[in-house]
Amino acid sequence: MRIIDLTLKDLSQIFRDKRSLLFLVAMPIIFTLFMGFAYKSGKDEDAVQDNRIPLGWVNNDPGGVVSQELFEMLSNSDSIRVVELAAAAANDSVRKGEVAGVLIAPAGYSEQAEAGDDPQLTLVTDTNSAQGQSIYQLLRTSVTKVMSAMEIARLSAGMTGKPADASELDAAFASASRAWAEADSASLVKVELAVEESFLGDWYGDNPYNQASPGILVQFAIMGLVSSGQILVQERKTRTLQRMMSTSMRSWEIIAGHTLAMFGVVFLQIALLVVFGQLALGVDYLRSPLGALLVSVALSLWVAAMGMLIGAMVKDDSQVILFALMAMFIFSALGGTWFPLEVSSGAFALIGKAMPSAWAMNGYQNILIRGLGLESAWLPTGMLLVYALGFFVLAVWRFRKMDM
Amino acid sequence: MPFAIEVKNLKKSFGDLQAVQDASFNAEAGEVLSLLGPNGAGKSTTISMLSGLLAPTGGDASIMGHSITKEPEAAKSSLGVVPQDIALYPDLSARENLVFWGKMYGLRGAALKQRVDEVLEIIGLTDRQKDHIGKFSGGMKRRVNIGAALLHKPDVIIMDEPTVGIDPQSRRHILDNVKALNRQGMTVLYTTHYMEEAAELSDHIAIMDRGKVIAYGAHDQLIKMVGEETRIDLTLNTDGEKVLAAWKATQGVSQINSLDGKVTVLVDDSNRVLPHLFEEASKAGARITSVEIQEPNLETVFLHLTGRALRD
Ligand SMILES: Nc1ncnc2c1ncn2[C@@H]1O[C@H](COP(=O)(O)OP(=O)(O)OP(=O)(O)O)[C@@H](O)[C@H]1O
Ligand SMILES: [Mg+2]
Repeated sequence: MRIIDLTLKDLSQIFRDKRSLLFLVAMPIIFTLFMGFAYKSGKDEDAVQDNRIPLGWVNNDPGGVVSQELFEMLSNSDSIRVVELAAAAANDSVRKGEVAGVLIAPAGYSEQAEAGDDPQLTLVTDTNSAQGQSIYQLLRTSVTKVMSAMEIARLSAGMTGKPADASELDAAFASASRAWAEADSASLVKVELAVEESFLGDWYGDNPYNQASPGILVQFAIMGLVSSGQILVQERKTRTLQRMMSTSMRSWEIIAGHTLAMFGVVFLQIALLVVFGQLALGVDYLRSPLGALLVSVALSLWVAAMGMLIGAMVKDDSQVILFALMAMFIFSALGGTWFPLEVSSGAFALIGKAMPSAWAMNGYQNILIRGLGLESAWLPTGMLLVYALGFFVLAVWRFRKMDM
Repeated sequence: MPFAIEVKNLKKSFGDLQAVQDASFNAEAGEVLSLLGPNGAGKSTTISMLSGLLAPTGGDASIMGHSITKEPEAAKSSLGVVPQDIALYPDLSARENLVFWGKMYGLRGAALKQRVDEVLEIIGLTDRQKDHIGKFSGGMKRRVNIGAALLHKPDVIIMDEPTVGIDPQSRRHILDNVKALNRQGMTVLYTTHYMEEAAELSDHIAIMDRGKVIAYGAHDQLIKMVGEETRIDLTLNTDGEKVLAAWKATQGVSQINSLDGKVTVLVDDSNRVLPHLFEEASKAGARITSVEIQEPNLETVFLHLTGRALRD
């Protein structure tokens, strides 16, 4: 109970200070807009002529009528730009981001299809990415159409009662294919999705704010370190911390009270940015409201606890700012709030991905970019809570050793 | 009767500096005990240890029978501390400060409200309760600073130089508060470097210097330590090293101390020694411009014990 009293006291002090409100709310919104424009203009430069998703096409079934039909269908698509590739160049091309995925028609594909089997195409892409998802959906439709046409052709040919010869079948197939071109039927064939390499391309999907909004959100949450770290410094400066120590409040209770207050402030800031992102920028946090809530709560707790640790380590305000800026650079830059972590590679990316900030980004992007649901939020939330607890324990430990 | 405050061989070092060295003293329940000493004597350090802000390097102490090292929460809950520096939120009003600290001491609801009203009455700030502390005068801040330590009606209250740097009116108010609280049964540990305050308030006085308790007793007992000695304060028209040396050698002079042209001399019999002092001065070509004979007081005791003035 006394912990909550302490929290409420902190909050009433913070919300009395108009400057801190400006910093907490207005600044992040302005930055979100600014960063969104930056991403958007960067995107426009290379994508203005052709918005279609580049798809590599490796045909190991040369001359096959079914694979040829599929190729033409894809080529005529409004959403896919087919790039013919040699088998050897395919993987490289995906890795470099030249294409969003590669579709491989295996040798004997048409033959098997004509024989009534269900041959499998291989799609190499990152199914977690927005483009990978789109390609998969587009292919499913196209392949289904082609294969249904094939099936019809086979059946109509079969109805004549004699085994159809190849040219008859091809003619029947061509007409059935046209007839079914617009048809929408259930999936008749499976397309195997082989995820080999992630691709970069247009990572943040159709909305540049999908990166900018959570990026700024996480970054400004981390900026909360300044306010959070200053609480203890301020309490020490006004000597109220010394008075607090002379009451029967325990060290962990004091830290918990202040941590909760900062949690409230950071969470409020995040909530405002989520609402702003959702309503003004079309960033769909509410695709999984509970997931976004979990990640936001855990993120706020981590920042608040880490701020307490900074406050328990430093002597004055300028040191708080120094430490907070250091933490901000490390956690923001490495954790993928400025640029998607997918850009980096090797040790850098590995360290980055372990950062609490990266878990936060991961949690939001599972919802925003990967279109996943609540269950995708559990791991990032859990990791952030582990970090929060770790920093809280460290803060209490440092606080106990602090020289009054 | 058990002691309300028991301090046993308390030690605190900051690196090489031994701020408190083997301090021992006790306060009986219901008394006012003063801790008297000059700047840097170790008073605040001792109090910081008693109130749980600093961990002792050695020794122990107890408040109402609870050891400050072994059961700090129990010790603290019967203790109210008035820190030497104002320890309040400047952006909150006097009332808001008191309400908050009341909650930290575990008060709630109607009991809290009533006690805050009472405390505002005690410190005489009922009509200014809505004003922010930041706008208060030094004296008013000091009064709220005291009030915040009274909310939970502690058995023991520790005050660290509560009258430093304030107007005579606020000072009077505070001293009267201390007496009133003590009459209600609170044990008070009062820290000061004003010997007049120690003399007026205390049942017992512990004199501290350079980290050590160098004397302990009731006011009159301490005065007796200097025996029949009388203190003479003089001023000279020159800062005559020679004069001081000659005075020191004069029979009947036991201590001599000079600061900024003011000389304090402890003598066994002023009637007999004073003419010699004038004589030695003229021999050295100096002139005594003022002379004052003082009855022995705590200042004299401190000078007697340390060879230094209390306020230097
Ligand atoms: N945190 C600290 N670190 C290092 N030295 C300290 C610390 N606190 C106090 N000291 C030193 O310990 C000695 C005793 O200081 P303390 O504040 O206890 O004296 P005091 O009797 O309260 O003096 P004052 O009348 O000026 O308040 C001083 O020399 C002081 O400089
Ligand atoms: Mg002091």
